[in-house]
Formats: sequence, C-alpha cells, structure tokens
Amino acid sequence: MKLKWTSYPYIVWMAIFIIIPLLLILFFSITSGDVFRLGEFQFTLDNFKRFMNPIYLKVLGRSITLALQSTAICFLLGYPMAMIISKAELKKRNAMILLFVVPMWMNFLLRTYAWLTLLGRNGLINYIIKSLGFEPLSLIYNNKAILLGMVYNFLPFMVLPIYSVLIKIDNSLIEAAEDLGASKLEVFTRIILPLSIPGIVSGFTMVFMPAVSTFVISSLLGGGKYMLIGNLVEQQFLWSGDWNFGSAISIVMMIFILISMAIMAKFDEDEKGGGLW
Amino acid sequence: MTRLGKLVLVLCLIMIINFIFTGCDRKEDVLNIYNWGDYIDPTVIKDFEDEYNIKVNYSTFATNEDMYVKLKSGAGNYDVAFPSDYMIERMIKEDMLYKLDKNNIPNLKNIDEKFINLSFDPENQYSVPYFWGTVGILYNRKVVKEKVDSWDILWDEKYKNEIVMLDSQRDSIGVALKKLGYSMNSRDINELRKAKEILIKQKPLVYTYVIDEVKDLMIAGEANLGVVWSGDATAAIRENENLEYVIPKEGSNIWFDNMVIPKSSKNKKKAELFIDFMCRPDIAARNTDYVGYSTPNNEAIEKLPEDIKNSKVAYPNEEDLERCEIFKDPSDFITKYDIIWTEIKAEY
Amino acid sequence: MEKNIVIDLKNVYKKYDDVEVLKNINFYIRKNEFLTLLGPSGCGKTTILRIIGGFEQPTSGEIIFEGKNIINMPPYERPINTVFQKYALFPHMNVFDNIAFGLKIKKLPKKSIEEKVKNILKMVNLSGFENRSIESLSGGQQQRIAIARALVNEPKVLLLDEPLGALDLKLRKEMQMELKNMQKSLGITFIYVTHDQEEALTMSDTIVVMDSGEIQQIGTPVDIYNEPKNAFVAKFIGESNIIEGIIHEDFVVEFENIIFDCVDSGFEKKEEIDIVIRPEDLIIESFEGAKLKGKVISVTFKGVHYEMLIESDNFLWKVHSTTMAPVNSLVGLSVLPENIHVMKKVI
Repeated sequence: MKLKWTSYPYIVWMAIFIIIPLLLILFFSITSGDVFRLGEFQFTLDNFKRFMNPIYLKVLGRSITLALQSTAICFLLGYPMAMIISKAELKKRNAMILLFVVPMWMNFLLRTYAWLTLLGRNGLINYIIKSLGFEPLSLIYNNKAILLGMVYNFLPFMVLPIYSVLIKIDNSLIEAAEDLGASKLEVFTRIILPLSIPGIVSGFTMVFMPAVSTFVISSLLGGGKYMLIGNLVEQQFLWSGDWNFGSAISIVMMIFILISMAIMAKFDEDEKGGGLW
Repeated sequence: MTRLGKLVLVLCLIMIINFIFTGCDRKEDVLNIYNWGDYIDPTVIKDFEDEYNIKVNYSTFATNEDMYVKLKSGAGNYDVAFPSDYMIERMIKEDMLYKLDKNNIPNLKNIDEKFINLSFDPENQYSVPYFWGTVGILYNRKVVKEKVDSWDILWDEKYKNEIVMLDSQRDSIGVALKKLGYSMNSRDINELRKAKEILIKQKPLVYTYVIDEVKDLMIAGEANLGVVWSGDATAAIRENENLEYVIPKEGSNIWFDNMVIPKSSKNKKKAELFIDFMCRPDIAARNTDYVGYSTPNNEAIEKLPEDIKNSKVAYPNEEDLERCEIFKDPSDFITKYDIIWTEIKAEY
Repeated sequence: MEKNIVIDLKNVYKKYDDVEVLKNINFYIRKNEFLTLLGPSGCGKTTILRIIGGFEQPTSGEIIFEGKNIINMPPYERPINTVFQKYALFPHMNVFDNIAFGLKIKKLPKKSIEEKVKNILKMVNLSGFENRSIESLSGGQQQRIAIARALVNEPKVLLLDEPLGALDLKLRKEMQMELKNMQKSLGITFIYVTHDQEEALTMSDTIVVMDSGEIQQIGTPVDIYNEPKNAFVAKFIGESNIIEGIIHEDFVVEFENIIFDCVDSGFEKKEEIDIVIRPEDLIIESFEGAKLKGKVISVTFKGVHYEMLIESDNFLWKVHSTTMAPVNSLVGLSVLPENIHVMKKVI
C-alpha cells in the first residue's frame, strides 16, 4: 500500500488513539497484578474465566435481549417513517430530515436527562395527566423507560440509512412493476422491500451496537435497577478499580460485536448500505 | 528517507512536543491539588494563591477508586489529594503517601480530638481531616408520619416506589448489613449473602438507585425516603423544610475525607503549607459554609452561624456517632462485593 | 369509425404547473399497427405514452380503449405493457424472475410460467439465459430481456419508450429489424416513441409527428417524407432545403426569383409559401444555361453519396449526389417539378 506523505497524520492519529488503546485493553485483559508500575504481574486468562460466572452471563444476555428489542421497535417505527419521508416532495423532505437530525446536534446525555423531566412522577406528562384528573403513571425508572430512551436516541440511525436507500430506488422500477400488473402492496413486498435490505441491515447494525453497549440510558432512565453489560464495565473501572476484569469484559463485547457485524455483512454483500459502518 | 523512517520521525516529534509541554508544569511555584468535585470554596484557593504567590492547579475526581488508579499509575504529580478513610488505609499499606512533618502544620491543633488517631491512620502520620459526615435516612415527615429510627422503614411495603437508595456498592450493602445487625466491614460470606438477599427483596420497593440526585429527588417530592450523606441532607433540608434526617438505631457509616501528600509530589513543604492553610479557623469556616459538609475543626465550628452549629444533621450527638462505623479497605475482598452487587443489580 | 381501432385519444390536454405540455391531442391507433410518436425532446411524445400506460393523468380528455374510457384505470389493471427507456429491469432478480414477474402476479401455474419464459427467450435469441444476473448482461441483452418481460404477458398493446437509445449504431439497426419482425409475427399493436426520424421511417406503419405538445402531421412514412405538411415536419424528417417562395397559380411557383413548374395546387394566387426540396432531388448540371446557379462551398464524402453545400444568390443549398463537384467550382442546379413540395406557411 503506497502511502502519500499527507496520510501520515491520520496514521499517527489512528495509532495513538485507536490502535494503542486497543492494545492496552488487550494487555490489561490478559494480565493481573500490579500492572501500572509494571511491577509484579503475570499473564493469565483468569479475567475471562471470571466472566463465565452465570451472573455476568445473565447480564450479557439481558443486554443483548434489550438491544434486540429496541432494534426491533426502531425498525417497526423507522421503516414507515423512512417511507413517508422518501415519498414527500423535495422541500418537505429536507425539513423532515432536519427534524430528525437537529436533536442529534444536542448532547446525548442532555437529551436523556430531558426525559427525566418529562417522565418523572411530577414531570410534564404526569402533570398533564393529573390535571385531567387521572392517577399519575409510573413512567420512569423501569424497563419501559429504558426502551423508550434507547428508541428515542437511536431511531434516527435506523431511519436515515433506510431513507437513503429508498430514495435511490429508481422510480421506473416501481412503474415497471405496476406496468406488469403488481398492486401497490405487491410492489412493496416484491420490489421496494427486497431492494431496501442493505439499508435495513445498516440500520440494524447502527442501532444494535450502541444499544448493546449503553450504560448511560440504563443508569439514568432505569434508576440503576437494570444492570447491563455497559454498566458492568463502568462498575469495574469506576468503583471496583479492577481494570483487568473490565478490560476482559470489553474484549468479550468487542468480539461479540465483530461477530454480529460479520453476520450482518453477509446480508449486504454489495455494501449498498449507506450506514457508517 | 524511507517511509518507515518518516513515520518514526513524526512519532518522535509528537512525543517530544508532548514532553516539552508537560515539562512546563515543573515550575517552582505550582501546587497540584486533586479533590472531589464541588468540594471547596474557590475563593479560598484564590486567597492561598494571593498570599503565598503559589499557583494552584485544581483538578477533580469522581470516586476514590478513580483517584487511586490515577495516583498509582503516576499520571500527574499531585501534591495534595483528598481520599476517604478506607482508601487512605490502602494507600498507607501500599506506601503511596509521605509522612507529614507536623511542625509545618501548626493549625492541626484546631482539629477536634475525637477525629485524631482513627483506625485508618493511627496518630495521623499521613493525613489531616478535611470534612466528615454520616450516612442516614432522609425522609419527608409530611408523608412518612410515623417515627423513623430504623433501617427497617426502607423495607416497608407501605412506601413502595417512594424509596431511593444509593447507587454505591459499599454504602447500600453496608446499610443492609447494619439492618441485619452485622458489621459494615463484614468479610463473612454468609452475612454478605444474607445482605444480598434482603437487598434483592427490597428492590421492587425502590424507586431508583442514584448517587448525587437523591437530594434533588427528595426536594422535588419525587421520593419521600432516601439514604443520603449528611452533607446532602443539610442542603436538602435547606430547600425543603419538610425533610428530616436521622441516623438509625442499628448504626450507620461515619466517613472522613482527609488531606494527604502522595509520594509523587515534588513540593512536600508547600503541600504542608496548603494543608495548614486549610486548617485555619477563618478559612475552614468559610469553606464549610460554602461546601455544606461537617468540619472537624473546632475553632471553625465556633465561627459558623447558629443554626448550622446546632444542627443535629451536621453535628450529631456523641451517642449517635458511637453507633457508626468507619469503612475499612476491602482489598482483595472487593471481587466478592462486585459479584454480590452485580447479582443485586442484575436481578429483574 | 373504423372497426379495428384499439385506442382512441380524444381531446387530450395536459397542463403542468403553468406550462401546456399537450394540446389538442386527437388520434387513434389501429389493431396490429406499428405506430410511432416522433418528435424532438420535450415535444410531449413520452408524455402521451405515459398517459396511455397510466403513469400520468391528462388534465382533460379521454382515452378510449376498446370502447371504454380507461382514464381512471391504474396501470396494473390495463392490458398494456411497457418497455422503458432505461429498461427498468429488477436488479435483485435474475433473468427468469424478471421475465416471469408479470406471470407470477397473475398467479399462473408454475409449469406454464416456465414454458412461456423459455419460449420468449427463444424469440429474443437469448435461450439459456434464465439464471443470469441482470448486471452480467450487455446493453443489447438487457434491452431484449426488457422486451421479453413485457411481451411474455401477451398484452394487447405494447408501449416502447425510446428503447434503442442506449445501443450502438449497428446493434440499433439490427434491433429495429428484429422489433419490426416481432411485431408482425406476434400481431401485437406497438406504440413506439423516438426522436430518430430514420428509425421512425424504417419501422412504422403510421407516424405521428409532434412538436411543442401539438400534433404536426399523421401519416405513413412515405406520405410524411414526400408531402410534409409544414416546415417543421420537412425539417425534421429527412434532410431538406426549405426556402420561401410565392405560388403564382396552380402548378407555377417562384423562388430565388426564378419560375419553376411544380405539381401542387389548391393555394391562393400569389400566396407566400414554403418550398421543400430534398437534397437528393437536386441535380448537378453544367453552369452554362442552368436556371439556378451556384458555387460549391464544401464537399463531404458520405459513402453513399457526396454531400455538397452550394451557395446561390439567396440560399445555401444542401445537395446529395453521386456526382462530385469540387470546392469553388461553379455549377448549375435543376430539379424535377414533382420533387418541388409546396407547403403552407406555419404562422
């Protein structure tokens, strides 16, 4: 691979901020002992063995399940949304896309906090419900709130790839299908849906990956009652001070995500996805 | 030059530039202070800087463990740090702290005797008390009309979804241990298991587990019973007079944040100067007033406003304090804590 | 009214925003006819095709298909199929599935579908291509698959929207013959859209010449070529020399200040008219004694003939001849009366 001198800054950047940290995490995961001052330490797989404890595997399983649920909801909500936007005329289309993208300009954490003020016992929604004379609802610090937070935060990542694939579908294909006798439903199931699969795969990947590794949403909106794999890693680094175990969990997560990416890639062999990864 | 050669050159340049700039810190008149967030009056720092012509680089950490790792790895040459009791115990064991030259800290005499010579730092060879406090129950007396004097109330079905617990391993497990009559520092796996069980039983009643937001939730009336640190209780009561704080009869945790000088410091004398400065009565009083936690400095207490001086929240009775334990360093036992806490949090 | 009319367009008018895209469209298409809509880009020919196919709606007017007005019928209900300009083959299906698409929609039995696909592939000379992917096909092959996909449904009418535009010249000429033969053997009505007048002349039974949303002339290729109704048609079809003149009386016309005999009548005395003379109808003679004289400005060898531009007093004549007159030589031009076409002026 011939390298122009202009690419050196990027290589250095990658080396410092991506490759070296990865190697460090790998190093931590396979060692134990006084690693910081390179004192007494030994190479070991104990950290990984420790992860095989049923309680930790349960946390991993729960995280995957929750991530799959939120991905599914994002898909069921996102596909129709993408279709609606793609069918609108150009001016309206851009305005609608903007509606999706502008919240993303705001800090992720702030947006999640905002839900606290909406969903809280004395929050806006319950305020309206109470003033209408009903009993306040328990909307926060439960499983549903976490799902809501995940869907809210990750929905644009499902909508945008699907939308970008849908608008690339040549209108003449739809006309040809109608010309050959296909009703609107048949056009959708036989032409539009199959052609939008690369976008769907992209959307799935872009939602599933952050969903499975999130810890902020489960912490803030779940009231700390639902420990996910992200929380477990955070716990090791911030509270237990066990960087070795935390790194081992991170490596397991990374392997897992790489496997799911490989599976997804099989569906999108031509890389028509339009996603970020 | 070969391609590889160019790459190495660029990497070297970056490293050199990095060293130059870190080297810039090594001036004579700079102190690096490492403290909890929101734990000092900024004007106090300014006064110190002005009086001694020493620049203060002030940075903060979120947890003891976080601070420990930073100091252990040698990143940053901190001159004064503010760890908690059990962490000081560990750091002394691992020889990470300088012994203090008490001659340079004359204001140490202002510290109340009962806070000197505690278990984690016998004879205070390494640390000087800064702030202290307790852990207790904060409740809204308009909603909780009965007498509150036991941890049991947090397990009462009546208050389902009104209860807030601390999202902190040791504090919550400690509360459960105390409720069962065991020591907060128990290393008995059976006692811990029992604590785990009752915490799991309690979970459906808990509104949320948080750390800093307890006082906000209770002020806003989102929850009516919570486990808090005494400093947060003081602040909360100030905002909502329906709130009351009590140390349960089974006992609780008493904690200390002390000032230490890590061995990475290059300015031991100036660090001791800073510690002495913070023990001055007027400085300590001003600082206490701003931060809101309890000061161990008797002379400072005299200067506090009446309502705070007499507050049972900030300055409880002797008998209440006797029921409280200080946390010990769990050392390798931390993995058991981790598993137990995970089992509690993952149970849903 | 002729019995074998399959489609009749009545007063079709289309306005898009504030632009009148189609005005006054009235014509009919007969059964088994090869009818071509011919005109420059933007003349509205594709719009008419799309209206017949059901992909666009006219602002007003009727489309009568076998006696019924199908204006409001959606495309999937019309017994009409289309070959699209860019083929519109489904990229995610192979050749077989593309062709079988319409048949599967109709829920025909599997065996029947297989047989029909096999036969149509044979007809377009692509037997054995069933499992090929669309992207592996050449332009010409894709084009034939597109035609096969439409024809396999045995439509009453086939619409073709400039289907040969993307092919190279030789392939285009081959396909023209193949399409014509297909149409004859299948007995299907073809409605063809093109801007290539040679293509139209080659393949069509009837040509509808259009410009700016209006029909200029309808007729057989011979009629349109020999008797263009106005200057536009004359310019568009074949090459022509169009010059202004005056018709003195029947059979006598004047242009270039010279009187010529002609074969046209029915005009006003001394009416100002346009005259069309095809380049191949101009005969090169010797300069001496010729009625029309000029100087050769350029000579281009075109294989079949020489194309010469000859400048007379008032006009630059384009002449196609197998006789070559060199540049700068002085020549005379003559033309037979039957090759002088008089047209009404377009206002």
